[in-house]
Order: sequence, then structure tokens, then C-alpha cells
Amino acid sequence: MASKEELIQELTDAIISCKKDRVLEAVEKAKGVMEPSEIIEKGLAAGMNEVGTLFERGKLFLPHVMMAADAMTAGVQVLEAEMPAGEQKKKMGVIVNGTVEGDVHDIGKSIVSTMLQSAGFEVHDIGRDVPIRDFVNKAKEVNADMIGLSALMTTTLPGQKEVIELLKEEGMRDRVKVMVGGAPATQAWADKISADCYAENASEAVAKAKELIVKK
Amino acid sequence: MATEYALRMGDGKRIFLSKEKILEELEAGSADAADLGEIPTLSGNEIDKVAEILMMPGKTVSVEQGMEVPVTHDIGTLRIDGDQGNSGVGIPSSRLVGCMMHERAFGADTMELGHIDYSYKPVKPVISNECQAMEVCQQNMIVPLFYGAMPNMGLYYTPDGPFENPGDLMKAFKIQEAWDSMEHSAEHLTRDTIWIMQKLMASGSDGVNFDTIGAAGDGDFFGSLHAIEALRKEFPNIYIEAGMAGECVLGMHGELKYDGTTLAGLWPHQQAPLAAKAGASVFGPVCNTNTSKTSPWNLGRAVTFMKAAVKASTIPCHVDMGMGVGGIPMLETPPIDAVTRASKAMVEIAGVDGI
Repeated sequence: MASKEELIQELTDAIISCKKDRVLEAVEKAKGVMEPSEIIEKGLAAGMNEVGTLFERGKLFLPHVMMAADAMTAGVQVLEAEMPAGEQKKKMGVIVNGTVEGDVHDIGKSIVSTMLQSAGFEVHDIGRDVPIRDFVNKAKEVNADMIGLSALMTTTLPGQKEVIELLKEEGMRDRVKVMVGGAPATQAWADKISADCYAENASEAVAKAKELIVKK
Repeated sequence: MATEYALRMGDGKRIFLSKEKILEELEAGSADAADLGEIPTLSGNEIDKVAEILMMPGKTVSVEQGMEVPVTHDIGTLRIDGDQGNSGVGIPSSRLVGCMMHERAFGADTMELGHIDYSYKPVKPVISNECQAMEVCQQNMIVPLFYGAMPNMGLYYTPDGPFENPGDLMKAFKIQEAWDSMEHSAEHLTRDTIWIMQKLMASGSDGVNFDTIGAAGDGDFFGSLHAIEALRKEFPNIYIEAGMAGECVLGMHGELKYDGTTLAGLWPHQQAPLAAKAGASVFGPVCNTNTSKTSPWNLGRAVTFMKAAVKASTIPCHVDMGMGVGGIPMLETPPIDAVTRASKAMVEIAGVDGI
């Protein structure tokens, strides 16, 4: 019989392989030996973290991240059926993500949305060149925990500040966290406009979103 | 107190660093590139030489005599007549005047004609206008004049084009549909670029500049390489510059290959041989500037990547130097102290053939 360490390794490797059948097979094998929550945290989630690292290093690519996330979801669904109601995996949080008005850059923001979604957040990607008001309206509509603001140009960066100002005007700033990113953004910029955090890349965006929304 | 030298952060902010700190940052930047690209770090002597360049007292610096390199200018004449708040100084001038200013006043060794939209796809409906402008410019200029634009494969996705946005498809776990969308877009990108350049070559263009290849990921690189290959076959003497969008090819598709090599995740030294294989005359490698890091960190990293690209390339490498690339801070008007220091380091240490 495989040891717990071997089963954890098998679960992690299965997620990195991005193959759903392999993940389900590893989950079935681990079920009799490990608790469902342990299988999720030490095996599947650890595998997704490794997928994130490999993505950042250019060893795995966006479709692979999505396939791994899909496989993890399938594995979690199998396990949740056997878990007591209180222990079932809770939604990580709701995030509205978009590129600010005047900026048509899409890819970086899309990668961040994909990585947040694959980490378990409910993500509402509202596109690029998004009017300031639309961020706030969407956040109200979906009761968002966080707004993600991307900008790839120094000239559109002030749009991030304008969204924060509008959140204040609407009395929503205390309950909606704001994350900023994009090549010209820095921690100093985030501090200056009173954003809650700055993320340099997609993996960091996931880590910081988890930290902020859990703290919240 | 140790002497401190005036340098910059990647976002252009002025900072002051001691020699020890500069060396430390250069080593860290070089190590980062070496780690990501699996390439050698700069040697101790090379690090010292970059540090020496960074610590030079003049506001601007230049290469040693005899080490001058050709300077190719991209983005057409938009830096002159453009006034969109990002690039351009808003001086009213025709494209002919702009091209001739680059040739006769700014010392550009080659120049490029480009349209205000600066992507190949939107050139299609204005092709006659572009052909006429090319003919007029060619009749007035001596330096080689190319036509240039961005492959910009994103323009083939919704809401700008006919194919569904792969980002949206992937978020809905429709991976196969996303792959199909990217493959169709790449085919259209190749076809449009060839068609546009057939017209412009008939109007006297000396060549083509692919500016920011890979901006939409590996599909963009794939479509551009096939366009280069077809243009080389049809026009054996065409000058083709293949300039990249970023240091690493984003794996939006992940499975596309050219000449048996998976395109996603390639670094400059791995991109260069493929550009040469497709038929490019010159390769334009890129290293992105991290706005949160110091200029020594960024320059150490950029020189490390470019040195490896130059070594691996069988065609000349004209490094992309400007706002937010090549170790230069990300500012609308890049500071001259940083531009000249980074350029000198690229020529004298990375060994680039042009800028």
C-alpha cells in the first residue's frame, strides 16, 4: 500500500499533468488513506501552486493551467460529496477584473483572471477599455470582495486612482479591496493611490488576493 | 560615507546607490536572467564594466570610437507628429517630412513608414494610401525605407475581429475552441501581412519590419514566422526585421510549433534561431524592464539576455531599446542618462549588432 507521502506526490503530479482522469484516479486511491480535506490541501492545492510556479517560469502555459484547474475541480467535487456540509470547500471570494478606460491591452489582465479563477475565485472579467463607472457598477451587481485594475500604459495608470475615488464617493471603499497591476504600476504607485495591494504577476495576484480576502 | 551615484528605478524615479550596491544589483539582475533563460550569468569583468558605465559622470555617455552600430527606427514617424499623450511630440508634419527628418537630422541608418493605427490588419482598407506614401518617400530618400507595423493578432479576436476571444473561451474551459480561434487568427494574420507587403514591395519598399511579434502570445509568433517564410520565398532580396514584443513568448496556445520547436515559453536566445530559419534578415530581441527594480538590476538582466541572444543568433541582432525595454525605465520620454548608458552596455558588453 502506498504511503501518505507517496499519495500526496501522486496527487500533485496528477494535477501538474493537467489530466482529469489521472487526477480522479489519484483521488480515488488516496480516499481510503487520507481525509478529503487533506487530499485537497496537501495534494490538489499543492499541485495547483506548482502549476502556478511552472506557468510563471514559462514551463506550463495558459491552456494547461485551465486544464489543471478543471481537473482539480473534478477531484474536489468527488471529495465534497463525502464531506460534512460545514467542511465543504467555500468560495474564495468574488473579484471584478478589467483593464481601465483608454487602455486596450487585454492579455495580462486575462491571464490574471484565468489564474484567479483557477485558484477558486469567482471572477467577473469585464474586459479592456472599461469605463470607470462600470467597475463600480459591476462590483455592486455581483457584491464583489475585490476589484482588480490593470493598466499597461503610463497614460492610463491614473484610471486606477479614479476607480478608487469613485468607490469612496459611493461609500463602497471599506468593503471592496482594490488590487492594481500592469507594467507601469509599482508598490509605490499603489501606496500613493491607496490601493490595497500591487501584484507584479499573475501568481502574485492570486497570493495577494487570497491574503486580502481571507484577512477581510 | 561611500560615494553614491545618481541612477533610477525602473519607473524612472531618481535613486542614489553606492558602488557596492550597484554591483550587488547587477549580479542579482544577471542571476535572474540566467535562472529564467538557463543561460550563463555575466562574468565578473562584465559586471564591473557595466558598473563602470553606470557610474560615468556625464549625463550622457557613448560607445567607444569604432564601436558605433546602425540605428533602425521603428514606429514610423509617429514620434514626430503623434500627439496622443503617450508617444509623439505633436509637431505637424507629413509622414514624408517625418521620414526625412529621421534620415537627415536624427541619423537613422534605416527608417520605417508606418500608419497611425500601426497594425497590419487596419492597413488593408487604406493600402492605396500606404502605397502612394511609400512611393513618394522612396523618391525623396536615400536610406533603406521599410514598411512596418505590429502583427497584433489580438485584432482578429472579438470585439475587434471575427474569431472568439481565446481568453474568454479558456475561462469557460473551452480549450479546443480557444486553440481553434488562435489557429484561425494566425492564418489570417499570415495572409493579411503577405498581401499588404506584396502591395508595398510593388511600390518600392526596401523591406518590412515586424514590430512587436508575439504581443498576442505564441499564435502571434506562429503567424508572423509563417508570414516571414512566405515573404522570403516570394521576395528573395527583401530585408526583413523580426522584432519581438517581450522577452518570453506567452503561451496562450501552448502547443504551436515552428520547425519542430514549441513556441510558447521561448526566451530571446531561443527565438533568434527560429526568426533566422523563417528567413528574417535581422532579429530584434527584447528584455522587459521591471518598474519595481533598480536600473542596475534591469540592465544586468537585459545585458545577460541579449548577450545570449547575440551568441545564439545566426543573423544580426538589433536590440529593442526604448521606453520600458532594454534596461531603460518606463517613461513616455525615456531619460537620456538611462538610455545612453543602457545602449552603451548593450553594444560593448552584449555585443549587439544594432539598435
